[in-house]
Amino acid sequence: MKLADAFSFGIQALTGARSRTWLMLLAMAIGVASVIILTALGEGARRYVANEFSSLGSHLIIVIPGKIETTGDSPPLIGGTARDLTLDDALALERSSAIQLIAPLALGAAPISYRQLERDITVMGSTAALMPVRNLELARGKFLPEADPTRESAITVIGDKLKKELFGNKRALGEWIRIHDRRFRVIGILKPLGESLGMDIGDIAVIPVASAQSLFNTEGLFRILVQAEGRESVPRAKQAVIDIIKKRHDNEEDITVITQDALLSTFDGIFRSLTYTVAGIASISLAVAGILIMNVMLVAVSQRTAEIGLIKAIGGKREEIMRLFLIEAGLLSAAGAAIGIIIAYSSIWVMGQLYPEFPLIIPLWSLASALGISLITGLLFGILPARRAARLDPIVALAGR
Amino acid sequence: MIRLEQINRSFEVGDETVHALRDVTLDLATGDYISIMGPSGSGKSTLLNILGLLDQPDSGHYFLDETDTTTLNETDQAVARRDHIGFVFQSFHLIPRLNAAQNVELPLILAGIEPGERAERVAKALELMGLSDRAKHRPDQLSGGQRQRVAIARATIMQPALLLADEPTGNLDKHSGDEVIQTLEALNQQGITLVVVTHDPEIGSRASRTIRMVDGAIVGEIPRSSPGGTTP
Ligand SMILES: Nc1ncnc2c1ncn2[C@@H]1O[C@H](COP(=O)(O)OP(=O)(O)OP(=O)(O)O)[C@@H](O)[C@H]1O
Ligand SMILES: [Mg+2]
Repeated sequence: MKLADAFSFGIQALTGARSRTWLMLLAMAIGVASVIILTALGEGARRYVANEFSSLGSHLIIVIPGKIETTGDSPPLIGGTARDLTLDDALALERSSAIQLIAPLALGAAPISYRQLERDITVMGSTAALMPVRNLELARGKFLPEADPTRESAITVIGDKLKKELFGNKRALGEWIRIHDRRFRVIGILKPLGESLGMDIGDIAVIPVASAQSLFNTEGLFRILVQAEGRESVPRAKQAVIDIIKKRHDNEEDITVITQDALLSTFDGIFRSLTYTVAGIASISLAVAGILIMNVMLVAVSQRTAEIGLIKAIGGKREEIMRLFLIEAGLLSAAGAAIGIIIAYSSIWVMGQLYPEFPLIIPLWSLASALGISLITGLLFGILPARRAARLDPIVALAGR
Repeated sequence: MIRLEQINRSFEVGDETVHALRDVTLDLATGDYISIMGPSGSGKSTLLNILGLLDQPDSGHYFLDETDTTTLNETDQAVARRDHIGFVFQSFHLIPRLNAAQNVELPLILAGIEPGERAERVAKALELMGLSDRAKHRPDQLSGGQRQRVAIARATIMQPALLLADEPTGNLDKHSGDEVIQTLEALNQQGITLVVVTHDPEIGSRASRTIRMVDGAIVGEIPRSSPGGTTP
């Protein structure tokens, strides 16, 4: 028997039993589609987080006051005496050759008002360096000018959302707004960037760091953002930060230094394993599809007993009958997988239209493994029915006993 | 051409042993026309199945064209069935989803013959059966007699030397039955060896030899000089 003939015989048998065939195709398609869609979602989540981090700037180091023990099983400890990070600490970091920019960050919540409108927002005290370090962009006006960071100045750059809420469509540049009990002149408006590390920059006001410190009456900084000279100098810069601050803090290492790479690889690892887990769970549906194929094929074998007996009587060999049924199972799973891939691609396309900012990409490995697993399950679960068919006694099969 | 020697075949049913065939010895020459008759359960179908290599005897020898078929393995027996033996069944056994031409084509497909040659041979076989205009009809669109003639076309498409028919008219009315028998006899006249199992004495008596079976044994043989003779 020629292979091409065996295939067309299989196709005829499958198209001859429509509802049975559709049932199995559906099961296989759902299995394959869910594997592909779920891995695309997992992979998308991973890329989304990675993008978020890289929008922070590619060689960022974050310095946090207090030593946070991230290892160990007890709740995070703040060891030592945890001295404040001061502006002087921040400025001292500029000495290191591995460090390109520093942006001190003082943070607080304050009411902001313009005429009768008042809102509670986050006020960020920083320097001109914040703009390159956090990859901020301006919609209008200017950012904080390069100036002595220890000098106060009554100027502010506000987020676009805040601008709309306070000024509507009116011009905001040059207007005076009130933060707490002080007046600041608006010199710039930020471009919307969306969420960046959990902070909505549409809803903030940036003022010079010295002004923020006096506004909130504190010497301490919330963070120091450090940009290393380059990606390779991140470890050196991190060490420099630790050394310099330690020296200034009576030889006590009372800061936590987070590099973006470390954060990124942690999240990357988490999302990668999440994707694998989800893909694994989805493959269970493939196995279920395989079992369904086996069941339906077994029913097909018993329904087609007479046919199998006849093929044997007119000279069909055992292995030819085996091959016929395996080809049927293989065709089913291949066609099911193809339908599943079409379903997956169209759902992902629809999702992409609905959430354009979420990067949905079907990884090639998930496509390949979904196809592979569906073919393997189809054939594996096809073996039992095929063997049963091949072993039928032709006389018994023809007699329908 | 065919020689059965001391064939025995028994079935275990529960703790009982049913002797379906007892020491059956039989010779068939090429071109013979033989009918097998006997009461129900006498072993006629069992004998036919052994002749058709669908069943193996418990003891004895079956020579088909000098080959002792009892020494063949399962695959060789399948090939022998495909190339040398044609079957016609009481209930036709056509594959319902395939049309007449496709049903007839099956043995050629199994033998791995090229599609072009297949189409030619199928068309010729259907024409011979007077079914050319029914080639694209599925079995459920054909009458009983037409179905049986499709089955005969399928059984003879490989030009076998031996044609076995187990009650080929059992499911047919008198008229279609006669047509089918005439078709089989025409094939016999062209040289095919024909064995027909039947309950119908009128059909049985048309053969050149009639073998009578009782209880698994051949109890008598009525030889005739010419086929189509009158009932004794
Ligand atoms: N597969 C089997 N298992 C058990 N017993 C069987 C089997 N096949 C046949 N027999 C028994 O062997 C005996 C002969 O059966 P066979 O089918 O050859 O009879 P038959 O002459 O063809 O009868 P009928 O005219 O009714 O078709 C019967 O007693 C039957 O019950
Ligand atoms: Mg019988």
